[in-house]
Amino acid sequence: MPLSRKDFIINSFWASSGFIILNRTETVAGTLTGNGPIKVIVADYDRCTGCRTCETICSAFKTDTSGDKSPHGPGNCEQSNIRVWRFMPPVDIPVTCYLCHDTPCVASCPVSVSAETGRKALYRDESKGTIVCDLNRCIGCQSCAETCKTERSGVIYPDPEGSPTGMCNLCDGQPQCVAWCPYEALSFVEIWPEQTKYSTPQIIFEQLKHKLYTIQSH
Amino acid sequence: MKGVNGKILIADLTTKTTYTRMLSEQEYKLYLGGRGLGMKLLSEYLTDQGTDPLGPANPLMFMPGLLCGYPFPSSSRTCMVTKSPITKASKPTKQFASTVSYSNMGGFIGPEIKFAGYDGIVVIGRSDTPVYLFIENERVEIRDAQKFKGMTSNMFDEAIIKEVGDRRFESAYIGPGAERGVSYGSVMNTGARSAGRGGTGCVMGAKQLKAIVVRGSNNMETADPLLFKELLKTARLSFGADSESKTNWRYGGTANALQYSSDRGSQAVKNFSEGTFSGIEKINAHAARSRVWKRDMACFTCQLACKKSGFAKGAYGGVVNEGIEYETGTMLGANLLIDDLDGLHKMIEIADDYGIDIITLGNVLGFLMECYDKKLINTEFLDGIELNWGLVEPCISMIHKIGKMEGIGAEAAKGVRHLSEIIGNNSHDFAIHVKGHELAAWNVQGYAKSLGISYTTANRGACHMTGGDINGQNLSTLRDSLGICSFAASWYRNDLHFRHLIKAITGFDLTEEEFMETGERIFNLERWLNCREGFDRDDDALPERFFKDAYTSGPHKGVVLDRTEFNSVMDEYYKNRGWNLITGIPEHGTLKRLHII
Repeated sequence: MPLSRKDFIINSFWASSGFIILNRTETVAGTLTGNGPIKVIVADYDRCTGCRTCETICSAFKTDTSGDKSPHGPGNCEQSNIRVWRFMPPVDIPVTCYLCHDTPCVASCPVSVSAETGRKALYRDESKGTIVCDLNRCIGCQSCAETCKTERSGVIYPDPEGSPTGMCNLCDGQPQCVAWCPYEALSFVEIWPEQTKYSTPQIIFEQLKHKLYTIQSH
Repeated sequence: MKGVNGKILIADLTTKTTYTRMLSEQEYKLYLGGRGLGMKLLSEYLTDQGTDPLGPANPLMFMPGLLCGYPFPSSSRTCMVTKSPITKASKPTKQFASTVSYSNMGGFIGPEIKFAGYDGIVVIGRSDTPVYLFIENERVEIRDAQKFKGMTSNMFDEAIIKEVGDRRFESAYIGPGAERGVSYGSVMNTGARSAGRGGTGCVMGAKQLKAIVVRGSNNMETADPLLFKELLKTARLSFGADSESKTNWRYGGTANALQYSSDRGSQAVKNFSEGTFSGIEKINAHAARSRVWKRDMACFTCQLACKKSGFAKGAYGGVVNEGIEYETGTMLGANLLIDDLDGLHKMIEIADDYGIDIITLGNVLGFLMECYDKKLINTEFLDGIELNWGLVEPCISMIHKIGKMEGIGAEAAKGVRHLSEIIGNNSHDFAIHVKGHELAAWNVQGYAKSLGISYTTANRGACHMTGGDINGQNLSTLRDSLGICSFAASWYRNDLHFRHLIKAITGFDLTEEEFMETGERIFNLERWLNCREGFDRDDDALPERFFKDAYTSGPHKGVVLDRTEFNSVMDEYYKNRGWNLITGIPEHGTLKRLHII
């Protein structure tokens, strides 16, 4: 069930949380045009303590080949699809792929649209909603990573061959970072993509810094 | 072998060279990692007794615990190991006779060192100009740090990220206090977490090493993945939604103990002359929670999050990077009779910016306040500062003096023992230190049988974390070697045993006896290194105050520690340790049994 408009504002407006920042003035359900709600991972910055359990879980889940994935073995945070950025004064910003409705990463991909599939090297898997790279067609130019870094969450980074990785695959509908967050700071909820306003971790930090550490806020 | 990187990184700042050294399976088996492995390496470097702690021959080690880098809750601590620039033997045979030193910090630096492929970083030599050590996997560089000279902790934490251009790097660094030579300078990371005790930052400052910056991409492996996962599940259950750790200790962190300790009369109050503080309610966890704290912060994969940040109000308002903890709240609060919560946070903030140990700082201020109160010193001695009990402003002035090593600050930067030597007048009686290292925030009266043992026999000089009996001491040594947090580990479920973790990670199948013997081995090695420098039982002495001055309030009002009784407790301790009853030196047979010699 989609999160109610009110709940979502309470939970996710920047004042309390949410890497996706809603535009307050818009109205919701029923009046919306375009596609329906999608499920994304939302972070509550008031709850996040910056422990990076999500990072180890994600990388362990990705690299574990034992078949028995619960709970997870060790994993290096570098290989995680979720990133917790630590700022000073102390604010921790966990970000994963926003699954942006306008996909600037795909837009920046210079590889031509394939006549056969209708896709660039980087494309959205419409069945899952996730961003995927076609390793056979990727030229490793890093345009997507650069665009994501300057405009959005910045989770895309090059793998050893130079192809983009770090895009969240939602663990086939059961995000493990959400399941194992010790502080219940992550949730997997439905949002209306056209209503979201996306920010970089740096901008979210500036807003949270203002909220937590300035005199005006008291 | 699985579970370890098998090598340490060595950086020689004199020759500006770096290289790695392989370690044998036997070394890991006997000393595990962290504090234990560090001590083993230290014993090899200190071939010459009386090595100058601030000279090039003294190694400074960053030793992540064995469990560092694994997502096991609350096991990401890094131990700094070196020879102490603070302690001194009462009958020194050499000029620089001092104890070993180790100090523990949480945060993210330990796991990152492991990810970079090392089980420790050893810094030797001394640079002529400020440098920092850059490590990204195999790429290691000694870089110029001239522009960071004198930079405060919080500023540097951001500045180094800009310098290396990536927020994924973790760093450990010293503040301007340690750079200038404050003997109790600490090694900091994330602007607030510090290896405060034992003067490890001072050694780093003497080497002109401003920081280490690390990033690694290696994968961690386990010898027994299925066992590891089972244990991880059990460990995580310890911190479930209805657990005490979550409902109570996350709320207040160690600051929960402020009220508790004052109520039971075990708090350091008014330079350890009292055990109960009347103003405790103004500075306890509830007060801080409602007035200052805004956020909880956790170390790497910790599920407790005892660290707090927030915003203080009023004249001392501003960003609070480090909310009060039990130690900081007691040493700069109760011990100085300060009950101004905002002022207290300001003092902690300033001290952390200089990067100096707040436990020792609280002792130094408390000692000077008592001397001033008893008219043993005047304002002239204190460079015009009227250092009265309970006032924040003179304390802040004094912290700046110490951090800058100006005037009286240069003397106070050498600690309580040095001050009592220059002030004289029997001030030695209330100079609260053991071997020159000041006591922590737990007061002794009424608890001497355990805490007295911990303070007197701790191998870095007075230490509250050492443990009050032999078993507890061996266990805490093991925790430091594994990198497990003493605070959070208190809430591990009973069916979770550290030696099972060692087995899951490394494959070492230690029996309970072998496991405890490992802790005993490390503790005895430290003791043996100290005794080699000339320390003996006479140095394991509590300050005179505890045998003379009774509290005037609280549950232990009127009690003083009986010297004969305490000596008999100590006798029992030496006997059970296998140390000589008269000299306190480990017997040959003990060292032989533990494979130390």
